[in-house]
Amino acid sequence: MQMSLSMRGVAAGLVTLAVLFGAAPIASAQETTLEVWSHEADEPAKVAFREQAVKNFEKSHPGTKVKITWYEKNPLGAALKTALPAGKGPDVFYVEPDQTEYITAGYVVPLDDLVNWNNIEPWARKVWIQNGKTYGVPQEAYTVELYYNKDMLKQLGVALPASGQFTQAQFLDLVKKARAAGMTPISQGVGDRPYPGAYITVEALLRKLGPDDYQKLFTGKLSFADPRVVEVLKWVKELADAGAYPKNFMTLKLGESHYYFYSKPGALMLPMGSFYSGRAFVPEDKGGQPKTFPLGIMQFPAMDKGACNDCKTSTIGASFAINAASKNKKLAGEFLDAMSTPDMGKMWIETVYLQTGIKADVKSFSGPYAAYFTELMDRQKGKQYFVGQPRDMVTGACKDAFAQVLNSGFPGGLLSVDQTVEAMNKACYKL
Amino acid sequence: MRIFDRLYRRVTRSSAEATIDARRATLAILIAFLAPALLIYAGFTIYPVVRTFYNAFHTIKPQGVVEFVGLDNFRALVFADSTFWKAVANTAWFTIVATIVDVVGGLLLALCLFVRVPLAPVLRVVWFTPVLMSYVVVGIIWVWMYDYDWGLVNATLRWLGLGAFEQSWLGHPSTALWSVLVAHEWKWLGFNMIVFLAALHALPAEVLGAAELDNCGWFAKLVHIIVPMLRTTIVNLTVLSFIGKMMVFDLVWVMTGGGPLWSSETVSTYVYKRAFEWNTFDLGYPSAIAVLWFAIILLFVALMTRLLRQRDRIEF
Repeated sequence: MQMSLSMRGVAAGLVTLAVLFGAAPIASAQETTLEVWSHEADEPAKVAFREQAVKNFEKSHPGTKVKITWYEKNPLGAALKTALPAGKGPDVFYVEPDQTEYITAGYVVPLDDLVNWNNIEPWARKVWIQNGKTYGVPQEAYTVELYYNKDMLKQLGVALPASGQFTQAQFLDLVKKARAAGMTPISQGVGDRPYPGAYITVEALLRKLGPDDYQKLFTGKLSFADPRVVEVLKWVKELADAGAYPKNFMTLKLGESHYYFYSKPGALMLPMGSFYSGRAFVPEDKGGQPKTFPLGIMQFPAMDKGACNDCKTSTIGASFAINAASKNKKLAGEFLDAMSTPDMGKMWIETVYLQTGIKADVKSFSGPYAAYFTELMDRQKGKQYFVGQPRDMVTGACKDAFAQVLNSGFPGGLLSVDQTVEAMNKACYKL
Repeated sequence: MRIFDRLYRRVTRSSAEATIDARRATLAILIAFLAPALLIYAGFTIYPVVRTFYNAFHTIKPQGVVEFVGLDNFRALVFADSTFWKAVANTAWFTIVATIVDVVGGLLLALCLFVRVPLAPVLRVVWFTPVLMSYVVVGIIWVWMYDYDWGLVNATLRWLGLGAFEQSWLGHPSTALWSVLVAHEWKWLGFNMIVFLAALHALPAEVLGAAELDNCGWFAKLVHIIVPMLRTTIVNLTVLSFIGKMMVFDLVWVMTGGGPLWSSETVSTYVYKRAFEWNTFDLGYPSAIAVLWFAIILLFVALMTRLLRQRDRIEF
C-alpha cells in the first residue's frame, strides 16, 4: 500500500508538473509574430503612427502579426539590459543615439543590407553609423528650440529682434524683467530626466565654443576650466541667481514643465526639443496646449565673441534597431521599411508636427498647427547644425555628473561656477 | 483524458483515504510535491544570489565573455569610488534615524490606541492605511505634497504665516534625504504600531494590575514593566527595520532618484544606476557593491542580535 501510494503520488506530481509547465499553447506553424518593444505610449500621435505602420505591414505580409509592447523609457532600458545579454528580447526595439552600449556589445545587427536606405535622410542615417555600419533607423528628428509666449513678451515691452536671437546681455535682462513682473522666466524641470536643465548651458556652450571644441568638451578632450567655458557658466549662474527657473525646478517633470509653460501657472520661455509638439498638441482636456496659446519660437541667445552663434543642435530621437538574437531579422527589416515609407514620413509630419529622419515630400503644411510648423521651419534657415547632444557623447561617471551637476545642481543654484568646473572635470576630463 | 479522470477520482475520494501524513510519506512523494516550489525558489532566489557573488569577482563583457578580476572590483569600490561612500553615509544616516523612529514611533502610536485615546478606532484605521499602499504611490503623493509652488507642505506653512520656512524640500541637498524619510515613516509607522498593539494586548493583565495596585505611575509602568516585557518584539522589529532601511530603494528612486547632487543616493539606488544607467552591460562592479553591502548588513544584524538578545527570560 505504501509503495502503491508513493508511486501514485509521484505520478500525480509529474502530471501536475506536466500540466503546469508542459502544456503551452501550440502556435500555428504558419503564423509569425514579430515582437516590438516601444517607448512613447504617452504620445497619442506617435502611437497612432506606429499602429498604422503595423496595419500596413500586416496587410502586405499575410500570416505575420506584429505585437507592440509599450514601455516607459527607463523600464524599457532596464528590460532590454537583462533580456539582450540572455539572448532574449524582442525582434525590434526602440533606441536613442545615446544608447551606444547596444552597438559596442553587439546586441544589435548592422542594418545596411536589411533596410531600404533610399527612404532615410543621409544626415539622419549618419547619426547611427559606427565603424562604417548603420545600427538604427532614425524615425524622430528634432532640433533644440527656445519656445516663448508671445503675449508675455509683449507685456514686458520687449520686441524680438528680426533674427529671432537676443544677445546674452539682452537675454539676462529679459529674465530679470520677467521675474520683476512676477513671471517665471523659464519653465524647466529635472524631476524625471537627466538633461533638460542643461539646455540653456549647453546651447550657450555650443555657440561660444563652436562645434569642434564643443565636442571636445564632452568627450573629455577640453577642460571645463577653459576660460570660454567659465564665461558661459558665469552667465548661466547669473541667470539662475536672477530666478530664471521655477522654484520647483528640481522636482518638476518633463511633461509637467510643458503644462507649466502653456497653462498653469504659465512661463515666458521653455527650452525644449521640437518634440514639444508630442505633448502640447493633444486636446486641451488631456493636458495639451490651449488652442489660442500664443506660441512663438526664438533662437537661443548669441554669446559674446561666440565662435558659432548660428549653430543649432539637431539630433535624432526615437529610432529602432533589430535584436542580434532575432530569428526574424529579414522580416524585422521589412517592418522598419514599413515605418519609413514616404507616405509614413508625410503622416509623421502632418500628425506629430515634428521633423523626421524619413524622407517626406511635404511642400505645404495644413491642419490646425500649420503656422507652428512653418515658423519651426523658418527658424532652421541658414543654421549650422551640430548633430547630437552631450548626453549622446558622455558615458559612465561623466554621464552621471552631467545629470547631477549640469542638469540639476548648477542651474538649480546649488553649485558655484568653481564647484561645477571641478565636479565636471573630475568626472569627464581625461587629460 | 484518462489520467485526469484518475487524478480527479483520487482527489475526490473520501478524506480519510486521501489524507497524506507528511511524517509517513516517502521521499519520492515529498520530492514530487516540494519540487515545484523548490525549483521556483532555486531559479528566482538561489541562482541570482550565487550568480551575484560570482559576478562580483568578474568583469562581464558583452556576448557572455567573463573575465576573472579577483578583488579588483572591491578595491576600486573601497579606495576610488567617492559616490559609493556618499551612498554609504546617506544609507547609514537613513537607517539609524528611520529605525529609531520606526520602533519608538510605532510603540507610541500603539500605546495611544492601547490606552484608548478618543477616536482610537478611527485613528487605528488612519494610521494603518498607508501601510497598504505601494511605495510608488506613496512616493508620487509625497512628491506632490513637497512641491514648492502647489504642494501641501509649503501651502500649510504659508497659511500659518511661516512662509519664510518654505523650501524646495526634495530639491535641496540638506533636506532631500530627510524629506524622503518623513514619507517613509508616514507609510511604515502603522505596521510597527499594529505589531506593538498585538504585543501589548498579549501582556498579562495581572502584572499591569499589580503595578497599578502598587501605585506605579504611568511612565514608571511603561519603562519598568511594559518595555521589558516587549523586549522580544522590540528586538525583532529593530532588526527587521534595520534590514529594510539598509536596502531602501523604491521610495528614494521615485522621489529623488538619488539627487540632488547625490544627497539622497543610497547604496541600492547606486547599484541600480551602475547596473542599468551607465551605458555598460558589466554587472561585475554593481554585483561587488551588492555583495559588500550584503556582508555589511549580515555583520550588523549578527552584532545587533547578539547585543540585544535577552539573556534572562522573563516569565509571565
